[in-house]
Amino acid sequence: MPQSSSDVVIVGTGVVGCLIAEHLLDAGHSVTMLEAGPRVTRGQIVENFRNLSPVARIDPDACYPPAPWAPHPVWLTDTKETAYLQLEGPNAKAYQQDYVRYAGGSTWHWAGICWRLTPEDMQLRTRFDVGRDWPFDYATLEPYYTRAEYAMGVCGPADPALQWPAMRSKPYPMGRLPFGPGEQKFTEAAARLGYLNVPAAQARNSGVSYHDRPACCGNNNCIPVCPIAAKYDAATSLPRIEAKGGKILVNAVVYRLETDAKNRVEAVHHFDPQKQTHRVVGGLFVIACNAIETPKILLMSKNDRNPRGLANGSDQVGRNMMDQPKLVAELTLAEPYWTGVGPVQGSSIIETSQGSFRSKHAGALFRFNNMARSRVGAIAALKTGMVGRALDAEIRRQAACTMEVAIEHETLANPINRLTLSDKKDWLGLPKPNIYYDVGDYTRLSAETYTGPIARQLAHAMGATSVTVSTEFTESDHMMGSMVMGRDPANSVVDVDCRAHDHPNLFLPGGGAMPSGASGNSTLTMAALAFKAADAIVGQLAHAGAAV
Amino acid sequence: MLAAGGTIAVGGLAVHSFPVWSTVAKANAYKDFLRLSALLVPHVLDELTGKRLAIAFKADQPPMKLHVAAMLALAAARRATKVEDFYPFATGSSKAAALRIISAWYLGVVEDVPTAQVFADQAALMYKPTSDVMTIPTYAVAGPSEWNAVSAPLNPMPKF
Repeated sequence: MPQSSSDVVIVGTGVVGCLIAEHLLDAGHSVTMLEAGPRVTRGQIVENFRNLSPVARIDPDACYPPAPWAPHPVWLTDTKETAYLQLEGPNAKAYQQDYVRYAGGSTWHWAGICWRLTPEDMQLRTRFDVGRDWPFDYATLEPYYTRAEYAMGVCGPADPALQWPAMRSKPYPMGRLPFGPGEQKFTEAAARLGYLNVPAAQARNSGVSYHDRPACCGNNNCIPVCPIAAKYDAATSLPRIEAKGGKILVNAVVYRLETDAKNRVEAVHHFDPQKQTHRVVGGLFVIACNAIETPKILLMSKNDRNPRGLANGSDQVGRNMMDQPKLVAELTLAEPYWTGVGPVQGSSIIETSQGSFRSKHAGALFRFNNMARSRVGAIAALKTGMVGRALDAEIRRQAACTMEVAIEHETLANPINRLTLSDKKDWLGLPKPNIYYDVGDYTRLSAETYTGPIARQLAHAMGATSVTVSTEFTESDHMMGSMVMGRDPANSVVDVDCRAHDHPNLFLPGGGAMPSGASGNSTLTMAALAFKAADAIVGQLAHAGAAV
Repeated sequence: MLAAGGTIAVGGLAVHSFPVWSTVAKANAYKDFLRLSALLVPHVLDELTGKRLAIAFKADQPPMKLHVAAMLALAAARRATKVEDFYPFATGSSKAAALRIISAWYLGVVEDVPTAQVFADQAALMYKPTSDVMTIPTYAVAGPSEWNAVSAPLNPMPKF
């Protein structure tokens, strides 16, 4: 017996699914949401975190143990047999993504940073003859950025000289947060080189309570969980969604979309933890499970009419996987810089992501990592064998006088970077995702000729006594590209509203729809696309009437 | 007849003795562990955490019991009042055991592995040397937006 029909069925309760759900409920439509994993409380997660050993704290998923039926990567403890993501290619390690299959999704552990794309970021092909253009311009996306900022509660600088970009129709909902001592010194060092370290736009309550959540008090634990919900995470919207009449089914692992004779999506099928299958019908469907899980569902849903998987007439589903490949500069400094004051991320040098060089190599941003280094300092100090007062002094020195600068590079949409279904199965018998990843020469050339030298110049300006720049790219957890947007159904999966070209009642909003990622965290752009899709859904439902 | 941890036969029925001796022995072993900890770590140490660490380290049994005894004997021989007075003169596995005890007080775990049980988070000593500036993650020290960019020199060290 199928579940009763809602106007809209949304698969995924992360930031994209929740923003769309609330918008549709406010517009008077009925919504059912399905979430693969469990519902948890904030206190439970904070307690999990406080009971993590020091070494376990380097994995942001360590305090989110996955349910057997909804696996997500926990690289610290995964083995070859238990690993969920099957990764291959020259930069397999750079796609070792961290995400959370719980109600609320990965904004549970995000840093909260909300950069916008710039006009240049959206026109790589036109301006630089590389990558893909977006099928619309910044001016089209701008109002949706504003709506996303107000929906999540984003704080940022009022001074246009510090905004990124300074092309805004409305002020930020809240003013910027203060810098800690390390960020302030980094800003001054950057200025000596002529770079601007700008305060980041952040989905964090700044000085005031916003949406009934408290203001940030500098708990310095944004990654992996804000103990007080000053940081926006989608879990905070779940009670509102329910209060507005939304139905949320948790521990419901969608494994197949069912299509009818007209190739419209008719129902989703999901497993429960007892491995029983259920069918949920609806009028219109949104799959917002992130850029790994959504294409996985589409590929698993292949049928006679859609032999390459749903929405895949273009053969682009699962292709063009992108992220911001990261390198890290580790510095030892002559004077204390101090991390651990304020949120874990609060600023970046981002002007380095723009310029005519993008015809040859990638841009990047440089970010002072403000996670408290007391723990890593203590681990390093204990390894020296020091004891007593000498140990305490060494802990303080290591903690205060070492720091990291993260270098996050853009990478281009390349169809060879591809998700397919592995032969390896998970607990439910569903295929694990297999991802081939190569960051590409465009990004490698940037590291060799552009970001490496800048990192060393920054280190010198900071008075570093030593600097090591890593050479192996790692992940930034900003999965993009796998359901790429475009006007031509022959080479794109979704249209300008994230509607699947092949199925008129299927929407695939999120990072997967982005044709370019540039250098900044992708979440605000995903949220903007969520609102663009939501508007289109409301319009489509108005024309079609009630559930079809 | 009573033996530590043994059984007595009463009219053909075996009854486990009260482990009185082993309780006293355990208590003494834990006291020695705390005594050694206080010598190894020049800070105020929480007694309950110490007992829990002692149990986790199996301080009532060899080898840890023997290492503790050896280090205490060394400290007594050198009339030590602080770790610098005796630790540099220790050798071998007793010295390694002493460093593991020190580590546990700082890191809050007996061994820093992903599945380790955590005995101290907010109270873990690793956070104390920087407590004048750095937040202990999840524990705010400021009010809304009340932190600032004021730096601090390496000296003086906070007292703890």
